[in-house]
Amino acid sequence: MLYYMKLTRELEDRIERKLYRQGKILGGVYVGRGQEAITVGACMDLDGNDAICVSHRDMAAFLMRGVTPRQILAQYMGRKTGLTRGKDGNMHMGSLDHNLIAFISMLGDSIPIAAGVGLSYRLRGMKQVTVCFFGDGASSRGDWHEGLNMASVLKCPVVYVCNNNQYAYSTPLEQQMAVENVADRASAYGMPGDIVDGNDVVAVWQAVNRAVERARGGGGPSMVECKSFRMTGHSAHDDARYVPKELFEYWEKRDPITRLETSMRDLGDLTENKLAEMNGRVVAEVDEAVELADNDPYPDPEDCLTGVYFEG
Amino acid sequence: MGLTTYVEAIREGIREEMSTDERVFVLGEDVAVYGGAFKVTAGMLEEFGENRVIDTPISESGIVATAIGAAMMGMRPVAEMQFADFISCAFDQITNFAAKCRYRWGAGVPIVVRGPSGGGIHGGPFHSQNPEMYFVHTPGLKVVCPATAYDAKGLIKAAIRDPDPVIFFEHKFLYRRVKEELPGADYVVPLGEAEVRRAGSDISVITYGAMVFRALDAAKELEREGIDLEVIDLRSLLPWDRHTVLESVKKTNKVILLHEATRTGGFAGELAAVIAEEAFEHLDGPIRRITAPDTPVPYSPPMEEFFLPQVSDVVRVARELNDY
Amino acid sequence: MSEIKVIMPQMGESIFEGTITKWLKSVGDPVERDEPLFEISTDKIDSEIPSPASGVLKRVLFDVDAVVEINTVVAYIESSDSAESDDSAPVEEHASDPAAAADAPESPPSVGRAGTSTSEIASSPMVRRLAKEHGIDLAALDGKGTGADGRITKRDIMSYIEQQGEEIHPAADSPDDDERIPMTAMRKSIADHMVQSRRTSAHVATVFEVDGSRIMAARDAMKADFERSGAKLTYTPFFVHAVAAALKKFPMLNASVDGDEIVQKGHVNIGVAVALDDGLLVPVIRDADRAGLLDLARSIADLSARARTRTLLPEEVRGGTFTITNPGIFGGLYGIPIINQPQVAILAVGGIEKRPVVIDDAISIRPMAYLALSFDHRIIDGAVADQFMSEVKGRLQGWKS
Repeated sequence: MLYYMKLTRELEDRIERKLYRQGKILGGVYVGRGQEAITVGACMDLDGNDAICVSHRDMAAFLMRGVTPRQILAQYMGRKTGLTRGKDGNMHMGSLDHNLIAFISMLGDSIPIAAGVGLSYRLRGMKQVTVCFFGDGASSRGDWHEGLNMASVLKCPVVYVCNNNQYAYSTPLEQQMAVENVADRASAYGMPGDIVDGNDVVAVWQAVNRAVERARGGGGPSMVECKSFRMTGHSAHDDARYVPKELFEYWEKRDPITRLETSMRDLGDLTENKLAEMNGRVVAEVDEAVELADNDPYPDPEDCLTGVYFEG
Repeated sequence: MGLTTYVEAIREGIREEMSTDERVFVLGEDVAVYGGAFKVTAGMLEEFGENRVIDTPISESGIVATAIGAAMMGMRPVAEMQFADFISCAFDQITNFAAKCRYRWGAGVPIVVRGPSGGGIHGGPFHSQNPEMYFVHTPGLKVVCPATAYDAKGLIKAAIRDPDPVIFFEHKFLYRRVKEELPGADYVVPLGEAEVRRAGSDISVITYGAMVFRALDAAKELEREGIDLEVIDLRSLLPWDRHTVLESVKKTNKVILLHEATRTGGFAGELAAVIAEEAFEHLDGPIRRITAPDTPVPYSPPMEEFFLPQVSDVVRVARELNDY
Repeated sequence: MSEIKVIMPQMGESIFEGTITKWLKSVGDPVERDEPLFEISTDKIDSEIPSPASGVLKRVLFDVDAVVEINTVVAYIESSDSAESDDSAPVEEHASDPAAAADAPESPPSVGRAGTSTSEIASSPMVRRLAKEHGIDLAALDGKGTGADGRITKRDIMSYIEQQGEEIHPAADSPDDDERIPMTAMRKSIADHMVQSRRTSAHVATVFEVDGSRIMAARDAMKADFERSGAKLTYTPFFVHAVAAALKKFPMLNASVDGDEIVQKGHVNIGVAVALDDGLLVPVIRDADRAGLLDLARSIADLSARARTRTLLPEEVRGGTFTITNPGIFGGLYGIPIINQPQVAILAVGGIEKRPVVIDDAISIRPMAYLALSFDHRIIDGAVADQFMSEVKGRLQGWKS
């Protein structure tokens, strides 16, 4: 878990703070700094056949499913070797081979999509479940409500994981919704709504596992709300000056990676040597990936005309 | 074998595909127990059971999205919009999710979204629309508008088998008005192929959906005056059959473009542009459009009749063009 | 060592420019990759920009407070890291498209109409096309139209054509087993130029036979030397050389026609046709009269190689004053070429092959080639053309190494 959280942090840092500012990445950059525990904890125990409906701060899900840092960087840099071969950018990617379902910019659309993924498992008597990530912002969309209702009524094996990072772009939670917790809405759709500390990877892992077991057993969908904080702007061109400094300071002290390191040290599971070795490995992997991706080819301009329809 | 109506033809097409392909299932509002507002899915629950015929909440976007999710996982959902007018609620899922998945990350979305469109039944502004052009403008989708029972069955079967998302606009005016004897054997009508409904030498009328019959009626009337109409039924709007259209234009040299949807941004505009680009020097007269005016579909019978293109409109324009 | 471009990054989808607020390094300073290099301010964000490479800041192109468009180069770093690639970011550059520039002199005149007053006679696109195809002046049908307001209709012109005893071949009547292949842009451009040239110039041809013994000997003698200096020596440089010299002597063939004036060109720029799979390109050797054989060999080799890979620059296919084409490679004796407008003459060089010739009443075997000149009889008289050809022939047969 620690490794994937660190790899995600390093890769996203490199993308947001170096490559983007060097003009090597154009377009939007959205990272999940400070929220790594949510994706890593939720995906830790999933079966490779369980589909994951990612959102835009879930890079860890790709890494954990075996998508390489080089492929992710190539995606960001618009290269032919990215998962969308240059057709789309940043986290707008997916791979049916890895059971990773791409999201679209209309956040919240994935909620009913996940219901359909889950429905397909149920109709065919399969034991798979799907985990669907979304943010607090997406919960204001109509599709979010339609999707949860649909999943519940059709008893779809879905675990909806909310990354509540407190801001939808620049709009704080209290201006987005009139209830205190996103999970408060779960009861309206007849599903359990668990609330956990999203910066505690173990807590996320345990809560999602409970929900996954319930779904696998035919109990239908659940929601797990993970409270966290967005330690960056909405995207790399947003300096988040609308966020009070004290909030950043408060959450900085609760960084999920530092917390996991501390508790592992306390348990005797992590030596300084092991930590240094892991840090070195993560940096080296990202270094190598940057080098490789930067030398990957751009797609041919005419490739833009291909792949709209099935081509045999 | 007896005559099969348009609505029965669609039902038979879906049933046949469900029988031969376990991945096919239907979902939508009131499709199971009730058999659909227009009874397209009547009897299917009894035949295939509740895992293949699924009643859903009133959530068009949710219905389409659920279909998309299942399709990506290898199933072949057929989603019903109770009225094609309500497809606007699912616009985002269709145009942004379903249409772009293959292009972006290679994920095919083999769904069919079908529903009754069109006027002539006094349904008013929200039960009579022809929303096909919203989707014709979206690369990644296929759009189908059958006119006959034979085509309705052959096209729904082709749509279900198609690896890409197909929007299937049935015409509710035709549901029980058109019928014909259908072949017993399995057949499909390929997407993207037009049909020459009536061969003629003087003027080509290019149309689709319920307007095919207005054009054929007009042709019968004009026959007596020695004006020989050729009637082309497009059947599919995306992709559409440029070859058949251009060949017809090159033969008759005069064109009427006829559709029930409103005028501005209607399919006639696209047809006119392509004809002007590729068959300009074969034109012996102006390209003429006959369409509904740019208003919502009115309810009151005299207004609705005025709104919808009539046989007399086709006759009048054909005479003008003949004399040009 | 290589120069790495430092560019103004795009900090947000809608951002198109940024202000440089501070340079954190001065020219000559060493800088590490990812070390802050300068600061910028945009509508959306203020940001520190890290260096794309390690090395020395070599040049700074914009001062503090300069407003710079995104993707513009703002500085260069001399890299200490040879593995750095310079073109990783899509910096704005002007792309060249040689195909689009395919030796187009001017745009062709609009499709001609059969009669001068056609535009005032009511007809239709189809009627005008049929008139053109059958060479009919629509004025002949004026007043006889049966359409609305006397418009000439399809039926009118078809019955007129029938009266004239002509058979009609509408394009749509082609049998089903015919295949219709759309023309490429290059093919269309060539087709237009060819037809336009035929319509413009009064084409006349003259054919000469040349004994290639001397240039063959010269080529054999120099080939190895040339190859050592990296140039493959073909016969083409010899022909270009001889033609360039002859054009200096007969400037009337190095000219163009502008209305009632003859424009004698100040330069001798010779185009050499290069056949491609789907057409041809004519790269131009500028001031060919001033180049030695080695220079000619080099630039012909370079231009034809780049013509085949479609990497010629637009200016490399423009400005020719005379063209040489080489139809002999497949064994044809000679071909009569069409003039490359707005030039007034073009020389086709046949293949060199051994033939029996009579020299001093004895039959001798000599490497012979036919040279065919098409010239514009509007401004070049036959005598001038033949004198020019005689000059070319003399230079080739009397080649002095």
